[in-house]
Amino acid sequence: MPRRVMASLVSGLRWLFHWHLAGLLLFALAGCGRAPLHQSQAYVFGTLVDVSIYGEPEHRARALENRILQEFQRLHDSLHAWKAGSELDRVNTAFAAGKSVDLSPELAAILTDATALSERSGGLFNPAIGHLIALWGFQRDEFVPVRPDPAMVQRWVSANPRMADIVITGRRAFSRNPAVRIDLGGYAKGYALDRAAHMLRREKVHGALINIGGNIIAVGRHGDRSWRVGIQHPRRPGPLATLELPDGWAIGTSGDYQRFFELDGQRYCHLIDPRSGRPATGVQAVTVLIPPGPQAGTLSDVASKPPFIAGVAGWRAAAAAMGVRHAMLVDAAGRIHLTPALRPLLHFVSQDVQLEE
Amino acid sequence: MSSWKNSLLPGDWLTLLAGGVLVAWLFATLWHAGPAGKVRIRAGDAVFAIHSLDQERVIEVPGPLGVSRIVIHDHRVRFAASPCRNQYCVHQGWLARAGQVAVCLPNRVSIELSGEKGYDSLNY
Repeated sequence: MPRRVMASLVSGLRWLFHWHLAGLLLFALAGCGRAPLHQSQAYVFGTLVDVSIYGEPEHRARALENRILQEFQRLHDSLHAWKAGSELDRVNTAFAAGKSVDLSPELAAILTDATALSERSGGLFNPAIGHLIALWGFQRDEFVPVRPDPAMVQRWVSANPRMADIVITGRRAFSRNPAVRIDLGGYAKGYALDRAAHMLRREKVHGALINIGGNIIAVGRHGDRSWRVGIQHPRRPGPLATLELPDGWAIGTSGDYQRFFELDGQRYCHLIDPRSGRPATGVQAVTVLIPPGPQAGTLSDVASKPPFIAGVAGWRAAAAAMGVRHAMLVDAAGRIHLTPALRPLLHFVSQDVQLEE
Repeated sequence: MSSWKNSLLPGDWLTLLAGGVLVAWLFATLWHAGPAGKVRIRAGDAVFAIHSLDQERVIEVPGPLGVSRIVIHDHRVRFAASPCRNQYCVHQGWLARAGQVAVCLPNRVSIELSGEKGYDSLNY
C-alpha cells in the first residue's frame, strides 16, 4: 500500500511539474511579446508630445526619442508664430512692413507647400490670417476670453490676406499684401510628424508611434500587430472610437474642445473661419485619416481644418477637395457623420453613438 | 497492453486537475492588465509618482506655474486645483477607467490611469 501511494505521489508530482513547465513557457513567451516598448513624453509646440518605440534596445530607443524631440524643438523655435526672434516672426515683421526678407530653404518650401494646400482648400485653410487669430486671443500660451471689436474683425477680413499674396523668388520673399501674417498652427505639427517618420524609416526602426498634440503617425508595427489609436470623444473623457493605424498612416483631429474659451455661455474655438473672421461654429470635431505618403503627417494636420470650417453642410466636399476619403465629423448635437471609406475601420467605444448617413 | 491511463491513480487525476486549475487561474489573473488600479502622474517629461487608486490621498505636483493638486478618492482621481488660467484640467473631472488621461499643458502635469485601454495612443 505505501508503495502504491509513493508511486502515485511521484507520478502526480511529475505531472504537476510538466504542467507548470508548460505554463511557465507560455508566460515567458508572453513576456517576450510585451517587453520592448519604450514610451516618453515631453512638452513641445505648446502641447504634449508622446513617442512610443517598439522593438529597439533601450539605449537606441532613448537616443531616437532624443533626436526626435530635438528636431521638434528646432521646428518649434523657428516656426513659432508669435515669439519674437523666431524665423517666422522675422518674416512676418518684414511682410507687414512691405519689405522683402531672406528665407531658409526649409521655410521657403513650407510656405510654397502651405500656399498650394490653401489654394486646394478654396482658402478655408489659410495660414495668412495670423492677425485674426491674434485678435481672438489665441496667439498666446494662456489665452484669455476676449470679444474683439467687430470693426477690427471686419478690417482684417476685408484686407483679405492670402498665402498667394506671398512672392518667393529664390531665397527672398515679400508679401504683396501687408495684412498677411503667417501662423502655421495648422501645419507645423503635421510637418514635424513627417520629419520624425522620415528619420525613423532612415534608421530602419521596426515600430514607432508619434503623437504631437493629438496628431499621430505610425511607423511600422507594434510587434506582430498594427498600432491602435483612440479618437477622443469631444465632450467626455476617454475615446469615442478606436481604429488600427497601419504602417505609414496618419490621423488628425480638429476640435472645439482643446483650445477654446466661453463667454456668456457661447463657446469660441481656436479655428477661425477666414470668411467671417470669427471662430467656426456648428461642429465639435473633424477627424481625418491619411494613407501613407511623404506628406501623410502634414495632411493629417491641414486637411481636418477645411471640413471643420465648412460645417455640416459642406464638409464632405471640403474633405474631397483635400483628397481625403476617410473622414468623420461630430456635429454640434453630437451626431456622427462618416465617409463610406472610414466607417468599416472604426470600432465605436462610446455608448449611444448616433450615426447620420 | 498497458495504456498510460491504467497506471494513473485517482490521486494522479486529482493533482492533474489541480495543476490545470492553477495554470488557468494564473492566466486569468496575470494575463490581462485588468481595470485601472493605478494612476501615473507626470511632471514635465518625467514620471513624478505612481499611486494605487485603493487609497484616499492628495498629491501636490510642482510645475512651472506652481502646484497642481491631485486627489485620489473612491477609486477615482482628478485635478482638484491648478495654478493655470483656463482650468481645463480641473474641468476634466474624475477619471476612473483604464487609459483615461487629464493634462494640464500650462503647468506640464498629466495624470493617466494604467491598465488595458485597447489602443496605444489617443488622437484628439
